[in-house]
Amino acid sequence: MLLEFEPEMNVLKLDGIGVSLHCHHFNCGLVKALEEMEGIDARSLIIQAAQEEFHDNFTRYILNHLSGAPAEEKLKTAAELYRFMGFGRIDLSRLSGSGGKAYADSSYYVTGWLAKYERRTTPVCHLTCGFLSGILSAVYEKPLDTYRVEETMCMISGQEQCEFLLTVKE
Amino acid sequence: MAIDSKKVIEIASKLQIESNEKGIMAAFGVYAAMNYNEFYFKVVSQAIHGMNTHSVYAIEKKLYEAVLECGYHTFHGIRASMHWREHITPMISTPEDEVAALVAFTNIFGIGYIEIEEIIPGERLVTVVKNAYDPGRYIEKYGPQPYGRCYMFSACTASYMDLVYSDPYPSGMGMFKAREVTCRSTGDLICRFIAER
Repeated sequence: MLLEFEPEMNVLKLDGIGVSLHCHHFNCGLVKALEEMEGIDARSLIIQAAQEEFHDNFTRYILNHLSGAPAEEKLKTAAELYRFMGFGRIDLSRLSGSGGKAYADSSYYVTGWLAKYERRTTPVCHLTCGFLSGILSAVYEKPLDTYRVEETMCMISGQEQCEFLLTVKE
Repeated sequence: MAIDSKKVIEIASKLQIESNEKGIMAAFGVYAAMNYNEFYFKVVSQAIHGMNTHSVYAIEKKLYEAVLECGYHTFHGIRASMHWREHITPMISTPEDEVAALVAFTNIFGIGYIEIEEIIPGERLVTVVKNAYDPGRYIEKYGPQPYGRCYMFSACTASYMDLVYSDPYPSGMGMFKAREVTCRSTGDLICRFIAER
C-alpha cells in the first residue's frame, strides 16, 4: 500500500485514490445518524457505497500490481488493505468465486461503537459487508453487484468473532 | 500570530499514525480509520438526495454533532499528547496561537486545507477551505446546492473554539456554534465557516 501526502493541500492518497482519516466519533456517529433516520436503509446505503469504492479501487490495484497473481494472493492483499486502513483483521482465505465465509477477530466498528455507545443486538459491520462484496467481485472479475453479504455473527453482540456469509445473487 | 503553520504540518505529518497487527489505529485517545473520500460523499449525498428540507436538516445536524465530537475529542487528545507538548507548545504564547496550531494540525488528515481568515479572541473564528472534496462532487453529480454541504468543516471550526475558549475539557463542547456562509457547492469560490459563541 502506498500512502502519499500533499502537505500544501492536505490531500492523502492511498494508491492514488483520495482518502481521509476520521475517528470513531464521526464514523460510528455517521452510522447511527443514518440508522436513526426514517426512510433510509442505512445498512444498504453503506454497503452499496463501500462495495463500489472497494470494487473500483481494488480492481485498479490488481491491474497495477497483481496482474496474473492467483486469487489467494489477491485476497491476502485485500485483507492487508483492510488492516492498513484501520478496519480490523479479517480472514479471507475461505472465500472463492462462489462466495463462502469470512471471519474477523478484530473490528473497527465494533471497537469504536463500544467505545462510544453500548452493545447492540444487530450487526454493525456494514462497511465490511460492502468491502467483502466489492473485493470478491474485483478478485474474480465479476460484475459489481454479484455477491450478497450477510453478517451472520457480530462481536458487537458478544460473539467471539464476526462472521460474514457471501453468496452469489440469483 | 506566532504559529508557523507549515512547521506544524511538517511536525504533525511525521507522526506514525498506523494500524496495529489487529488492524486498529489508536491515536490521540480515539480510534481512527482511513476511508475513501468518495465513500463519505456517496453515503451522505445519497441519503439526503430526494429528502424534504426538514429531514435533510435533521440528518445534517446529527452529522455536525458527530464531527463536533470527533474534533473536540481528537484535538483535545492531540494537544494533550507528548508530541504536542514537545514540539508545538513552545510555539504557543496566546490562546489564539493555540487555535492556529490546532487548525494547522488538522491539515494532515486528508480532508482539504483549512486556514484561519479571522479570529476575534473568545468570540469568533472564521476559517476557509479551498479544496474540500464534497462541494465539487455535489456540483458534478447534483448541480448547485441550495446551501453549504460542508458539515465537517463547520463542526471542526466550532470544536477549535470550544477547546480553547469554552469551559475546560470535557465540559465545553457545543458552546460555540458554527455555520457555513459560503460554499463551492452553491457556486461560491471558497468555503467559509464562522464559529461564534
